[in-house]
Amino acid sequence: MAPPVQSHRSPSPSQPSGKGEVSDLKTQLRQLAGSRAPGTDDTKRELFKKVISYMTIGIDVSSVFSEMVMCSATSDIVLKKMCYLYVGNYAKHNPDLALLTINFLQRDCKDEDPMIRGLALRSLCSLGVANLVEYLVGPLGNGLKDGNSYVRMVAAVGVLKLYHLSASTCLDADFPPLLKQLMLKDKDAQVVANCLTSLQEIWSLEASTSEEAAREREMLLSKPVVYYFLNRMKEFSEWAQCIVLELVSKYVPVDSEEIFDIMNLLEDRLQHANGAVVLATIKVFLHMTLSMTDVHQQVYERIKAPLLTLVSSGSPEQSYAVLSHLHLLVMRAPYIFSSDYKHFYCQYNEPFYVKKLKLDMLTAVANESNTYEIVTELCEYVANVDIPMARESIRAVGKIALQQYDVNAIVDRLLQFLEMEKEHVTAETLVLVKDLLRKYPQWSHDCIAVVGNISSKNVQEPKAKAALIWMLGEYAQDMQDSPYILEGLVENWDEENSAEVRLHLLTAVMKCFLRRAPETQKALGDALAAGVADFHQDVHDRALLYYRLLKYDVSVAERIVNPPKQAVSVFADTQSSEMKDRIFDEFNSLSVVYQKPSYMFTDKEHRGPFAFSEELGTLSIGTEPSDGAVAAQRVEANDKDLLLGTSEKEESHGYGNNGSAYSAPSYDASTTAGASQGNFDLVSIDQPSTLHPPSGFAIDDLLGLGMPAAPSSAPPVLLLNAKAAIDPNAFQQKWRQLPVSLSQETSIDPQGVAGMTNPHALPQHMQGHSINCIASGGQAPNFKFFFFAQKAEGSSAYLVECVINSSSCKVQLKIKTDDQATSQAFSELFQSALSKFGSA
Amino acid sequence: MPLAASAIYFLNLRGDVLINRLYRDDVGSDNTILPLRPVFCVFEVFKKTEAIQILSVYTIEILRGNMVDAFRVHIMQTKELGTCPVRQIGGCSFFYMRISNVYIVIVVSSNANVACAFKFVVEAVTLFKSYFGGSFDEDAIRNNFVLIYELLDEIMDFGYPQNLSPEILKLYITQEGVRSPFSSKTADKPVPNATLQVTGAVGWRREGLVYKKNEVFLDIVESVNLLMSSKGSVLRCDVTGKILMKCFLSGMPDLKLGLNDKIGLEKESQLKSRPAKSGKTIELDDVTFHQCVNLTRFNSEKTVSFVPPDGEFELMKYRITEGVNLPFRVLPTIKELGRTRMEVNVKVKSVFGAKMFALGVVIKIPVPKQTAKTSFQVTSGKAKYSPSIDCLVWKIRKFPGQTEPTLSAEVELISTITEKKSWTRPPIQMEFQVPMFTASGLRVRFLKVWEKSGYNTVEWVRYITKAGSYEVRC
Repeated sequence: MAPPVQSHRSPSPSQPSGKGEVSDLKTQLRQLAGSRAPGTDDTKRELFKKVISYMTIGIDVSSVFSEMVMCSATSDIVLKKMCYLYVGNYAKHNPDLALLTINFLQRDCKDEDPMIRGLALRSLCSLGVANLVEYLVGPLGNGLKDGNSYVRMVAAVGVLKLYHLSASTCLDADFPPLLKQLMLKDKDAQVVANCLTSLQEIWSLEASTSEEAAREREMLLSKPVVYYFLNRMKEFSEWAQCIVLELVSKYVPVDSEEIFDIMNLLEDRLQHANGAVVLATIKVFLHMTLSMTDVHQQVYERIKAPLLTLVSSGSPEQSYAVLSHLHLLVMRAPYIFSSDYKHFYCQYNEPFYVKKLKLDMLTAVANESNTYEIVTELCEYVANVDIPMARESIRAVGKIALQQYDVNAIVDRLLQFLEMEKEHVTAETLVLVKDLLRKYPQWSHDCIAVVGNISSKNVQEPKAKAALIWMLGEYAQDMQDSPYILEGLVENWDEENSAEVRLHLLTAVMKCFLRRAPETQKALGDALAAGVADFHQDVHDRALLYYRLLKYDVSVAERIVNPPKQAVSVFADTQSSEMKDRIFDEFNSLSVVYQKPSYMFTDKEHRGPFAFSEELGTLSIGTEPSDGAVAAQRVEANDKDLLLGTSEKEESHGYGNNGSAYSAPSYDASTTAGASQGNFDLVSIDQPSTLHPPSGFAIDDLLGLGMPAAPSSAPPVLLLNAKAAIDPNAFQQKWRQLPVSLSQETSIDPQGVAGMTNPHALPQHMQGHSINCIASGGQAPNFKFFFFAQKAEGSSAYLVECVINSSSCKVQLKIKTDDQATSQAFSELFQSALSKFGSA
Repeated sequence: MPLAASAIYFLNLRGDVLINRLYRDDVGSDNTILPLRPVFCVFEVFKKTEAIQILSVYTIEILRGNMVDAFRVHIMQTKELGTCPVRQIGGCSFFYMRISNVYIVIVVSSNANVACAFKFVVEAVTLFKSYFGGSFDEDAIRNNFVLIYELLDEIMDFGYPQNLSPEILKLYITQEGVRSPFSSKTADKPVPNATLQVTGAVGWRREGLVYKKNEVFLDIVESVNLLMSSKGSVLRCDVTGKILMKCFLSGMPDLKLGLNDKIGLEKESQLKSRPAKSGKTIELDDVTFHQCVNLTRFNSEKTVSFVPPDGEFELMKYRITEGVNLPFRVLPTIKELGRTRMEVNVKVKSVFGAKMFALGVVIKIPVPKQTAKTSFQVTSGKAKYSPSIDCLVWKIRKFPGQTEPTLSAEVELISTITEKKSWTRPPIQMEFQVPMFTASGLRVRFLKVWEKSGYNTVEWVRYITKAGSYEVRC
């Protein structure tokens, strides 16, 4: 085959250079379309190849669609395939043109050659054009009944493709039951396997809405079906075996006899050359024996050898996939693997991701008998390999030391790292020595002797420096130089960039002072002075706290800063056991590699910022539909936000609107906000509700901005600032200052009262009208609310006290404002908003 | 979880797309129209720094529309390329593998089966290689891209792996283009049962093969992995072996292979109720077989019996950790004399039979980066300093058994002030091949071929031991 156009080795999709050539192709193809001269097919082949190569590198060749279709009337199967590929790629974006291809694809589906029938059917199903699904039903139905297994195999997957395009068409055509029949009867194993995959996907997607589908899904796991698959196991290809084994792993056998039968039947699969089959078999074994402790143990012993083989054969990527699983098992039952620790020794050239997993496992399997060897090996890594690996290795030694108290040599060796005088080694070791001392204070004597020799100048990493300073403070009485080292550090206060280190320094100097007052007095004074002047809030606060404590009573300070400590017995585990069990349930999948359950990376809610910006993508400026349902949803989504304290909310509002308002003590930047709102008023005048930013990230504000609330019923005499906010203290002050400008009695919709059972309902509703609740309280039947609102232009504020009697449906309003002229208008606005409560 | 691949990409080292094949729509296509309006609004409203922060989040979202770009930006253009072969960007997971100068990337959006994905890539590459005649690289892909698209169509449907066996696929997709086994117009010789084979019912062998000369080649290839401490104690040692077979046999032959492994021999003597023959027996830690081997019979009778595929294939793989015969011992002494000089003495001892010899022996002895000058004395072979890998490379083309050549070298170093960190000594690495030697001691006892026509076969057996990762710390 001739190479594709060499001149296009690296074009970027946006490069216009392809344009001329594409139109050239177009004319050439057009000339060939009708020609029947001999040799036409060869020329066509070359042209088609060019088209496909353009398509691959990203040049848009959709413009030759009709020419391609015209040229596809040929008996040459290669041409057909290229054409199918082309059509499959562009049909979705040219649904009208795709219609052109239906005809010849349908014709090919009836070809006498099963190969062409199969190919055509596959292409037809891959078009992905939703409004062409009606053309699929016929050929698919025929395909499932085709005498040739190749066609049936293609049709079985085709049904799934159709389902994804249009579920209703697929179900209406009764394809799933047909698939089920085929699955249970067909002679060809690949057809059976494809039916199974399609049915699994269809029924599990349908199961949430249809009871029948849920039942059918259960049927797949019933004894006769599972046994049917088990008996045909050897006929399946390695890939199909993976799918069948996955199915079997979900099957629940009735008794232990059945479990042993299945395991005996499948034992030879552990010898399969395909690692995926072996892992799938292991999953079956592990899950079936979960309730039989001793057998489960034996299973571990049995699967050890095949797993270790898989790790040592194949590419690093493959062994990584297997190692991740081995890692999971080692973490679950380290004692079973403790004699195999040598398998987890790292080779020099292995990639870091493999080494990291191996180190984890070495740490886990360490016990009394092998710790010495393991730590010796780890020490090699510390001295001999690259920096990240050295760090990981030190951490591993540290972890082992924390696990096992009585292996004395390990602490010595850890301390030897400090003598290597490599910065990263020292840094990492210091952090670990600190943790070690927190758990085993009895080591302090040995450790302090070595740590005392380290010059603080050689420690630069914040974490390590903090650890060193902590030790200097904690063991001030044992370390001769402690006050003087600390004094030196205090002198360089301004050069210390990390707030964490400065915080530790404050505390350490304090501790040191409490033990060796005369020597530390000067350092303490300097540290407190520097701390109080520090620009970092936490450092400042802590310095001030210490200062006042000391002023108040030194013994109290001693009790607070330096109380007798209890050794930490267990460091917090990062992952809950529930989480680990979930990962184990999802054995042989990505969850094991990511070390988190699948819902954390496949569900949209858990994707973090991505999911959020997805939401952004679907919104567009100024066209937000104004119906209540959407608004209600928004409000509901912001439920959490409402539960935050008002002051926090204020901050986030201010931040979203204008950065300069952020630091202002009370929010009065509404003039600037109002100005920018002015520009948007025309667009947003009929917005009844306003959008609120989700907590933490204020991006939605740009959509909510400039959509002030106004009652849609009445003409907007008064516009309220959607972002009005006030802190409770300011509100209280204002409430005391202002006279009551309006006092009224009104009534509330009884339906609304029914909604009062949820204390957040009314504040939420009112917030939808740009009236914020500051405080609420009371018990049925009397509820009291304080509301606050602000005029969109200008800074005048409205304060409302609202007492609702839920049994009589009466409401008493007291409105205070600094703009008397609009108080009546506001009152009407407020009441109209209130009257909608419960009726919306 | 099944593997439901959404797309597969072949990229060169620069990140240019060589092949892209979308299987499912759930990851978006290359032609997604980007909703850019919100992005511009961000710039109007926010301060610049905030806007950039927001945009970076948003860009990821846009990139989800174009998986290749996502891969390029987040993996290829960062330092993270070597850190992990499985990565998550947006809601999609990327599995990638580098094979010669090509990256093969599989994109999935569900909780997929990782082992299956990598195995699929490896198998697919084997398949492509068998089509291109051995090599798989950027040029081979560019020259065969239509063929690759055809194959990708057959080996995976809607993200689910289908049939990947080269023997079967070659029946209907050929190098010269596609040949339909069904159409009488183009087929030069009719293949009676091809459809069955296409879908894998018969599997690995087709009927009606005829060879003038019936031959079987058996290669036992072992690689020894060793990690030895500087004091000469073995930290870790194992042998991974495979038996490769090349069959040119007519008809549907039944083969039976006998090895000197412990379990097999015990079972045999038990069946024939006579005492086991004396001699060395090998304990295999673990064995895996090609799909043609009847595993049930292996489990009950401990014999390896099978109907072989035609041509070349890997019959079995095994692993051994006990009783490994190391072919070489390496005894290094490296002395650092002051800050600028080093003395290196390495003695390599061959411990296999005196009549055998090793080929292509290479010993790489690491030296510090700041090496300036080296001088050597070797009793056998040639040595030179290779600055690109910071090693002294000592090559011995033919290395007889029971000999012990030595290398002594003096290394002068540039004294530097900046490089005050002491040198971390990587291990000495060794490459070799020893024909007619197995580190495990495994031997083929018999290979029986039985076919109904009763022809005679010629069997060839070869043994070879290679170095896997053969490392000695110094």
